[in-house]
Amino acid sequence: MSGFRLDRGGRVDRTRPIGFSFDGATYRGFAGDTLASALLANGVMLFGRSFKYHRPRGLLGAGSEEPNALISVSRGPGRHTPNQRATAIEIYEGLTATSQNRWPSLKTDLGAINDRLGMFLPAGFYNKTFMWPRSFWDKLYEPLIRRAAGLGEAPSEEDPDHYGATYAHCDLLIVGAGPAGIDAALEASGTAKRVILIDEQDEPGGGALDDPALWSWLSESLKDLAAAPNVTMLSRTTAFGYYHDNFIGAVERLTDHSAEIGSGPREKLWRIRAAEVILAQGAIERPLVFAGNDVPGVMLASAARTYLHRYAVAVGRSVAVMAAQDSGWRDAFAHARAGVNIAAIVEVRETVTPALLDEAQALGIAVQLGHSVIEVHGRHAVKDVTTARNDGTAVNRLTCDALLMAGGWTPSVHLWSHSKGTLAWDEALGAYVPDRANENVRCVGACSGTWNFGSGMVIDRLPTPRNQAKIKAFVDFQNDVTAKDIDLAVREGFKSIEHIKRYTTTGMATDQGKTSNLNGLQIASKALGRHATEVGLTTFRPPYTPQTFGALAGHAQGALFQPIRKTPIDGWAEENGAVFELVAQWRRARYFPQAGEDMHAAVNRECRAVRSAVGIFDASTLGKIEVVGPDAAEFLNRMYTNPWKALEPGRCRYGLLLREDGFITDDGVSARLARDRFHLTTTTGGAARVLNMMEDYLQTEWPELDVWLTSTTEQWAVIALQGPLARQVLEPLVEGIDLSPEAFPHMAIREGTICGVPTRLFRVSFTGELGFEINVPAAYGRALWERLMDVGAAFGITPYGTEAMHVLRAEKGFVIVGQDTDGTVTPDDAGLDWAVGKKKSDFVGKRSLSRPDIVAEGRKQLVGLLTDDPAVVLEEGAQIVADPDQPIPMTMIGHVTSAYWSEALGRSIALALVAGGRQRMGEVLYVPMPGTVISTKVSGTVFYDPEGARLNG
Amino acid sequence: MADALLRTDPVSGRAFAGDGVKISLAPPMARYSLRARQPEVLERLLGLKLSRQIGATLNGAACLGPDEWLLRAPAGTSLTTAAGLPVAITEVSERSVCLIVEGVRAAEVLAAVCPLDLDRYALGRATRTVFETVEIVLLRTGEERFEVEVWRSFAPWLNTSLQTAAGQLR
Repeated sequence: MSGFRLDRGGRVDRTRPIGFSFDGATYRGFAGDTLASALLANGVMLFGRSFKYHRPRGLLGAGSEEPNALISVSRGPGRHTPNQRATAIEIYEGLTATSQNRWPSLKTDLGAINDRLGMFLPAGFYNKTFMWPRSFWDKLYEPLIRRAAGLGEAPSEEDPDHYGATYAHCDLLIVGAGPAGIDAALEASGTAKRVILIDEQDEPGGGALDDPALWSWLSESLKDLAAAPNVTMLSRTTAFGYYHDNFIGAVERLTDHSAEIGSGPREKLWRIRAAEVILAQGAIERPLVFAGNDVPGVMLASAARTYLHRYAVAVGRSVAVMAAQDSGWRDAFAHARAGVNIAAIVEVRETVTPALLDEAQALGIAVQLGHSVIEVHGRHAVKDVTTARNDGTAVNRLTCDALLMAGGWTPSVHLWSHSKGTLAWDEALGAYVPDRANENVRCVGACSGTWNFGSGMVIDRLPTPRNQAKIKAFVDFQNDVTAKDIDLAVREGFKSIEHIKRYTTTGMATDQGKTSNLNGLQIASKALGRHATEVGLTTFRPPYTPQTFGALAGHAQGALFQPIRKTPIDGWAEENGAVFELVAQWRRARYFPQAGEDMHAAVNRECRAVRSAVGIFDASTLGKIEVVGPDAAEFLNRMYTNPWKALEPGRCRYGLLLREDGFITDDGVSARLARDRFHLTTTTGGAARVLNMMEDYLQTEWPELDVWLTSTTEQWAVIALQGPLARQVLEPLVEGIDLSPEAFPHMAIREGTICGVPTRLFRVSFTGELGFEINVPAAYGRALWERLMDVGAAFGITPYGTEAMHVLRAEKGFVIVGQDTDGTVTPDDAGLDWAVGKKKSDFVGKRSLSRPDIVAEGRKQLVGLLTDDPAVVLEEGAQIVADPDQPIPMTMIGHVTSAYWSEALGRSIALALVAGGRQRMGEVLYVPMPGTVISTKVSGTVFYDPEGARLNG
Repeated sequence: MADALLRTDPVSGRAFAGDGVKISLAPPMARYSLRARQPEVLERLLGLKLSRQIGATLNGAACLGPDEWLLRAPAGTSLTTAAGLPVAITEVSERSVCLIVEGVRAAEVLAAVCPLDLDRYALGRATRTVFETVEIVLLRTGEERFEVEVWRSFAPWLNTSLQTAAGQLR
């Protein structure tokens, strides 16, 4: 034996030594080692500091249940991953690992003062102490506590890795490739079923990896599975969540284990839909609860056997075993046969089966029946332990450098619980086992509770002659919760495990209490004098083990984070220097700055062009719905507030759409193309919502109507030509449409061709100027735009963006739904009462418009505001008061919804929602702003060309 | 009259060739959304037999719902507007583009982001579904050939998504 590595055995590849570092020191291990086994082999016992008391901690387990040995791994900028379990980190050449939650070093940690102050840090300490003063919490308490208590540091740089994702479908999904899972896969391998077998470890085999007697069976079985064409085997893959209808989320780790990161994805998210699921997750051994059970070197007996057989590492040179379960004896025998000295088996039970005693005797192992460990000596490693008879007598010291705990077995019912399967209490196991399935799922092997671990004793904590209130006997190692913390919670009146859990934080660490839940429950049960099932059961939630955000995001990063929708004309805008803004999912040109222009200058220039010559605007994002069928007019008449049945083909109408509650939800100009065909437009952001709402009414309220809705938003590119010269630009390009004012009045639609392409040409205006909106099939949008720019050059055609569009419409008092309305505004509030058909018997929202609070006086109404100082532009969202001298808090009577500099008027303008606004015409109101109060006068909402003369060019 | 207007497509016409998969933009075609409570009325009007089975394709028309078909036809095909009859025929030729995903690993690439069970997705199937957050119509037009109909503005995202998945094949 060199160091703690045994001379022979194990599954590590001794021909492939691997160098790595931990806390700056370099070590060597073998391929197949985890960081935990490699460090143990080098005699390292100390892996971390505990969360609250900063106590030195070593390894408790050997698998993903490990609560203590949380490690950070760094592989360059942005590739810092904290809080990984040393037992699940595969070593590779150059691995750089560091311990956490200690300063200045793991051996000398100043935070360990908390351990001495333990009596002042009882359960609920933070809740009790740091509540007052309230204002200290955000700035002082929380940052301090976060720094002192802790986990690793979150990475601060952007993650340079990328992540894969896929869906997968199978007839049988098996989670866990231990003996039971492999048997299930073998059974299905000869069938036509598509089978996926997933396992979280680097090597399939589960418990069989710890048992050399099973190794030949294992390798034969894996060979058979590899040869079975219907079986897909995924290693290093954690099934982290079980969702409705047998939908399982799993993450496959692809590069974290290898020295070369390569160019492929780091991890891959598997979203698996399975007809049937078999859970073979195994069971996790429980620690025993006694003073000093967290000293480095005290660990689960099963973990020690894993280190012994799988990694050929002895956890000590003289190992004692503290057992309440037969399996601990067998683990001791395995060590003895491998040449590791067993100091003694200390057994809390008074009697065990004679076969165990015989075997112990044959191996020369000392046995203490009816004894318990009552103290562990040593701080950074076990020096020796004190045992006593269960009645407190016969206290004696036992020399050893490691202590194994065999406290019984907890079936892993995590995924079963995610699937909402019920659990039943198993008295012999002292644990919950799967009962009734909620999905097409069953459990096999140890996680079903049917595995034979031998017999044992279920015990909440070991007997001790010492004062239980004075000792630290740990229940939850990761969150530093002791048995006396749970006693305290019970004394303070907590009765349900759900409350005890939250008060003490037991089971609430990142390991979700894999090793602590049952001990916590037993202690609470004993303290309350009620059966465990009456104390309750905590809920397991995904993820089974912590997963990276990257894996969950999958492809959704960078350019794929979410679609940014671009219009057919977007490319031209980009090439011509447009500044963009996002509107819903769309990217829209906000303005087109020329050399040396800021936004203000560009927008002023664009506005001047529209008012004096002609502007061109990409309106392609407008939502469009084609409403077709004999009942089309009837349908729209029921949806919109205004009458639609009498609208003549070839004419347009402004439509106002309310929700059932009478508030405005959308608006738009729509055209009647034929008796049975309408071309609706909606707001850009409202397109999907309006279609859904209309489909909803059609399918659930009026299924008898013969009318169908088709989204045509993307069928058409829409180019708005607005300005007194618009007709002159358009005229030479259009065929089959008479553009004269007589033949083609405002609010009309004509179909024809433009530059040889079919068009639906609207004569509409959102600027107050003579205007057209040219709809062409989307593929021709850009070419038409460029043609219009060519032809319009002689007329001073100017592209304008959404910002100028907003200014131009505000000058005319046209509302934007969602900006000047906020979901609490009725047509009358918005000054749109004219758009409500008074004679209509019904429309969506009509009944709500006569509710008492809707017709009450004093509702907020949309008005104009003109600041006394014309140069001051109000801020959108600013609050309005009537009396600026009122003490704070003032009575706010409304807010500014839109505010711009109007180039046409040479002053600022604003729209606002003000209580009783239309009764306040001419009244002076005030807008308090930081350091100043702006006075402003209430006006009408139409600031420019109130007669509408300009519509005719 | 100046030159005719040229088409602009939202994704490049150049095909992407990956390991066992090719992704390319289909040439322009005519597309119509056909709606009717009684398919017979549409059939008489168009002289075209329509499948009654949701997900099936017949004569270029994919049955997407109990009263809905997506007809894809050669570019330039023009249908009547059917004025007065209880049907709706709406042209949507330019609403979407079609990305063709073909090759031995085509299904694997699509499975990266499409939740359908493509092993069980028969030749001729057409389904409206999602591709992550984006609505698509997926058609299987060959053993190793799928066509993805996607609204024009989502096409660049979808194309990038498919190419990313193709690039991550192992």
